[in-house]
Amino acid sequence: MRKHRTSHRSKGGKNFIILPIIFCVLIIGISTAIVYPSAYSFISMARFLISDGEKDFSTGYNNIFVPVEDSEGENSSGERKIVPMSQMEFPSYGEQFGELIIEDCQIEAKLFFNDGDNELNNGVGVFAGSFIPGYGKTILVAGHNNTYFNGLKYAKKGQKVKIRTSYGNYVYEINETKIVDKSDVDACNLGADYENLVMYTCYPFDELGLTPQRYFVYAKFVSGPALDDKN
Amino acid sequence: MSDSKRKSHVKPVIYGFLSFMLGFVLFALSICLVLRFTFFSQDFMLDSMANSGYYEMVKDELGDKLKSLGHASGLPDEFFDEFVKKIDIVNVERNYVSSFYTGSSTLVDTNTFKQDMIDAINVYIEENNIDKEKANEDSILYLVDEASSIYVKTVNVSFFAVFANYINKLDTPLRMVTIGLAAAALVIAAIIYFTNQFKHRRYRYITYGLGAGFLSVIVIPIVVFSSGIIPKVNLATRSLYNLFVGYFNSMFMYFWIFAAILLFLTVICFVVYLQKYNKAVGN
Repeated sequence: MRKHRTSHRSKGGKNFIILPIIFCVLIIGISTAIVYPSAYSFISMARFLISDGEKDFSTGYNNIFVPVEDSEGENSSGERKIVPMSQMEFPSYGEQFGELIIEDCQIEAKLFFNDGDNELNNGVGVFAGSFIPGYGKTILVAGHNNTYFNGLKYAKKGQKVKIRTSYGNYVYEINETKIVDKSDVDACNLGADYENLVMYTCYPFDELGLTPQRYFVYAKFVSGPALDDKN
Repeated sequence: MSDSKRKSHVKPVIYGFLSFMLGFVLFALSICLVLRFTFFSQDFMLDSMANSGYYEMVKDELGDKLKSLGHASGLPDEFFDEFVKKIDIVNVERNYVSSFYTGSSTLVDTNTFKQDMIDAINVYIEENNIDKEKANEDSILYLVDEASSIYVKTVNVSFFAVFANYINKLDTPLRMVTIGLAAAALVIAAIIYFTNQFKHRRYRYITYGLGAGFLSVIVIPIVVFSSGIIPKVNLATRSLYNLFVGYFNSMFMYFWIFAAILLFLTVICFVVYLQKYNKAVGN
């Protein structure tokens, strides 16, 4: 009788741990099998919302711009210097990677990669769908007409535009200015296969409100190192 | 095998199955109750907004976005400091959320916003003696429209419209399912209780079910929190991020609470079982 009691109690004790665990596994498994097909679209959508780490909401910006000497744009023989891309730091979205100076227009602004609110609040920005200096393509730079690009109203043909970056200094020469409608998509040729700088801002200048026109300033390449994507 | 021996083997299987069903129903019931207290509760949403500092952050973000617009339109930061102060984000957001839960129109009133902004700009023009040529009406209306669009986007809670659609559609079915599950749990427990000849066995099988329910419920917050998935959510603004993290942390708090209730009931049933068992063995 005593033996029977002992074995009975021992068996019951184990069941209080094992059975709930087995039931739990079955419950979770069955629930997943039931819910997953109907929740599949939500789960797929949720995956797009998850990033690798916690998002940084700071409105500050990273500055990778370290000024270099003017002479570093050319070789001793006066030929255009080549900068291997492997030796330069490409700017990320929102990073300051240089500065843009037009002395005749009293413009001296930080140059950012991207032209969102944060960038244009702190300087002028290269449209991320265009190119950075040295690439041999179109560089499209935007700025607000009431702040950093207010001086563009003084832009005239022949004036020099300097862009200073960590991998070299560039000079462009203004060759045209134009007023276009804000919806004019032909004002800038982003597909050009030669280096050129296009700056634009809202027009008319100093007007209160959002204006329906844009003021474009075109500049041709004068000097500065070329980026070599083969190295 | 004799009839009595066969019955003695079949009975534990039947009661084991009933215990499993009790655990399953309690798990489903807990999920329905968590959803009822959180996802389907307007008060929970409003509390989450208040506790996560959502209103203050939305106000700050709206101010920052309008100031950026000001940089493009010739209005100084101070203009928007004063203007945003006058906008009662708390009331706007509360109306916005309420409209979703009550199923009414969810449009944010932009007419008042636009008129207030036009008035403020006119005052600014007058105070600063701005030349009429430099204050083109079309440019100002364009600015006001853009500001109004920013206002609506900032006040809107992303993805909420999608969820609200489900909230309205599933509210009544969820209520019925919750009542049904509660009834089912009581029926299963009653079957186990009243069909068992020995008192200690009644409590044993109910303990199995409660224990299974407790483990199943607690698995969900453990998996979610140990994966660290909530803080990694990628949302556009800090206000939405804080609201999301606060909302889901509070939501999973309800899972802990229901798990604690089930654990408490499990322990109670187990203690009663031991008492009954010892009494039966003692006799």
